[in-house]
Amino acid sequence: MDIFARKAFRRRCIEAPRGTHGACHGRPLARACAAAALLCLLAATGAAAAERAKLPRTSDGQPDLQGYWTNNTVVPLQRPAAYAGRAELSEDEARARVAKALEPTEAEAGTDADVHYQLTDYGLDITQRKLNIDRRTALITDPPDGRLPAPRPEAAAQAKERADFARAHAFDGPETRPLGERCLVWPHQGPPIMPTGYNSNLEIRQAPGFVVIITEMLPDPRVVPLDNRPHIPSGVKQWLGDSRGHWDGDTLVIETTNYSGRTQVPGTPQGLLLTPAARVVERIDRTGPDTLRYRFTVEDPNLWDRPWSAEYPLTRIDGMRFEYACQEGNYGMTNTLSGARVADRAAADKGAAR
Amino acid sequence: MLSTRLSNLVAGAALGALLAAAPTYAHHSFAAEFDASKPLSLRGVVTKVELINPHSWITVDVKDATGKTVSWMVEGGSPNVLFKSGVTKASVPIGSELVIDGYQARDGSNRMVGRNISFADGRPLFFAGSKPDAAPAQQ
Amino acid sequence: MHAARARTAARLWLAVAATFALGAGAAGAQPAPKAIVAKRTAAGKPDISGVWEALSAAYWNLEDHAATFGPVAALGAQGAVPPGIGVVKGQIPYLPAALAQRDENYKNRLAADPEVKCYLPGVPRATYMPQPFQILQTDTDIVIAYQYASGLRTIFMKEHSEAPVDSWMGWSNGRWEGDVLVVDVTGQIGQSWLDRAGNYATASLHVVERYIPQGPDHIWYEATLEDPAVFSRPWTISLPLYRHVEPNAQLLEFKCEEFAEEVLYGHLRKKGIPPPVH
Repeated sequence: MDIFARKAFRRRCIEAPRGTHGACHGRPLARACAAAALLCLLAATGAAAAERAKLPRTSDGQPDLQGYWTNNTVVPLQRPAAYAGRAELSEDEARARVAKALEPTEAEAGTDADVHYQLTDYGLDITQRKLNIDRRTALITDPPDGRLPAPRPEAAAQAKERADFARAHAFDGPETRPLGERCLVWPHQGPPIMPTGYNSNLEIRQAPGFVVIITEMLPDPRVVPLDNRPHIPSGVKQWLGDSRGHWDGDTLVIETTNYSGRTQVPGTPQGLLLTPAARVVERIDRTGPDTLRYRFTVEDPNLWDRPWSAEYPLTRIDGMRFEYACQEGNYGMTNTLSGARVADRAAADKGAAR
Repeated sequence: MLSTRLSNLVAGAALGALLAAAPTYAHHSFAAEFDASKPLSLRGVVTKVELINPHSWITVDVKDATGKTVSWMVEGGSPNVLFKSGVTKASVPIGSELVIDGYQARDGSNRMVGRNISFADGRPLFFAGSKPDAAPAQQ
Repeated sequence: MHAARARTAARLWLAVAATFALGAGAAGAQPAPKAIVAKRTAAGKPDISGVWEALSAAYWNLEDHAATFGPVAALGAQGAVPPGIGVVKGQIPYLPAALAQRDENYKNRLAADPEVKCYLPGVPRATYMPQPFQILQTDTDIVIAYQYASGLRTIFMKEHSEAPVDSWMGWSNGRWEGDVLVVDVTGQIGQSWLDRAGNYATASLHVVERYIPQGPDHIWYEATLEDPAVFSRPWTISLPLYRHVEPNAQLLEFKCEEFAEEVLYGHLRKKGIPPPVH
């Protein structure tokens, strides 16, 4: 019996005695009914125990989540307007959505879109990797309309100010370049971890008392203690926050606080940075030999009046994570700023010539 | 409900594509680094191969119109998937001849993004539209 | 039985300590100590997991050195180099041309030291950086996370293979030799330095590390370096590693990439835009 069937069996079994009408009323049958309920409970416990026994565990008893996983998906964070009111697509619609995402698109020569290496040459194209496909219309599970809650007006105004400033000063210097280009953090590292354009993979390792999560881009090791120790003090803020984990049955629950106020969740409005009051809860559990389920809830009372949650599957992939030494190989920052300075000089010369 | 939502599928083979509705992040615009109005075609001999992140770089010696040898740096993609498919530092030998199409750096230096790179004998550099770990689509 | 074992351990520890006391003037001169294991993993191997740090001036200079001026005069005493007895016995056995390169490195250390640019330090430099690291022993491998620049290594304990490509932190194949963790490190990119004094090696560097448990809160660390492009023979560094014993010790974040931006890209900033003040 697979994990899902066992869970369903347990639910039915425990509910049945209560749901039985008439048969358990009256004293003469009470003991028989109690015995039946007890047998059902024992059978359910047995099934649950069998389920727990089948789930691979580390030497210290943690459910084994270890491996190299991908969260590649074509499901957007928010439900598109075309699917308003619909949580799921039909099988055909879902297949069509994937087919559309895999359609080749050729950029026109001489346009900005063509200024790129060929993703396929490097195995980075969407058609070259394992794709988690789910039929949902959005990763967001709450609010039920699959859309982000509206940000608080002050937060939205501040976000717009930041976005406008970033646009106006895009090439002033390294400080105004995107965080990923600065090799500081890849926004999709989170937490919460989000699917990204390529190398959308992560490695999970477990040691007694710890879970270690390493996203491929960037491979900052998140060493999560499981021993109920308190968070570091609020005076120490971190790019990836400070994470504390514990097992809730067979689900790993990680709570992260101490955000630096300089990052945002990909897919949220540009400039809407998580504040130091943010709290993100991730839940990871194993749904099969080669699959995990990743759920998260984001709470930030300075940004939204309510928390919001999302979920996506992870699939095991072959191979291993290789070093991603971003800072060391960052020719791009030098080249980009250098090109911008040449453009500045050209504009200045043009102005002077007039 | 959960099992229908979380069915997994291995994507079928197809030609190159850009991501459509999936959450994406343009970490930096190549158009800021390289100039769409400066297309280039080069033929050069490999002198250095940097299979690094965030982008790989291959340095080639190119003979210019006067016959003088000039060094060019060509930018490519992250090599992390290549390693999983058996590509190593030996896969592009020093001294190989390459044919490169691309766009030159905005600052006019001898740097370019390699839109198409292949060996002079026509072999693709790494993969040419084929999947490194092809598998049939399955529900 | 328990008391007898404790007495034996205490006697062994005293003997080891005595050996070190005799050789106190020349670190690296004494033979490697025997392992003293306080705790074992479920698999019966020494448990060396936890947060560790070196307390040594090696990160400034692996060789014997007196206190001296730092590379930034404006920092005065704060930026000066503290003294240290070498963690290597005598001098590093450079080939003549390589020694000249080392001396050139020293002259240019402010501009040329990869640490200034927040580059990964490689092995063994990562071990004696003045920031902690954490050893985690999984059921199959050993992972070491470093606070400096969020560095990371996986020490493959079950399946050994060769590096397909060079990397900044190298490729580590490890095994237990009795109670000593022995790690073979190859495939380093050769652009890290070994300290802030310009000592260096190339991509042909081969490092063999030995982590020797010395009771619950100490590890004796040795690393033998071999690089025929630079050194005339292999040579070894040795120093103790100390456990962070404060409750709830953990690595914090030292994402130094932005601290290096002015150094790396300041000259490319737009005209009229001053560098940010911190």
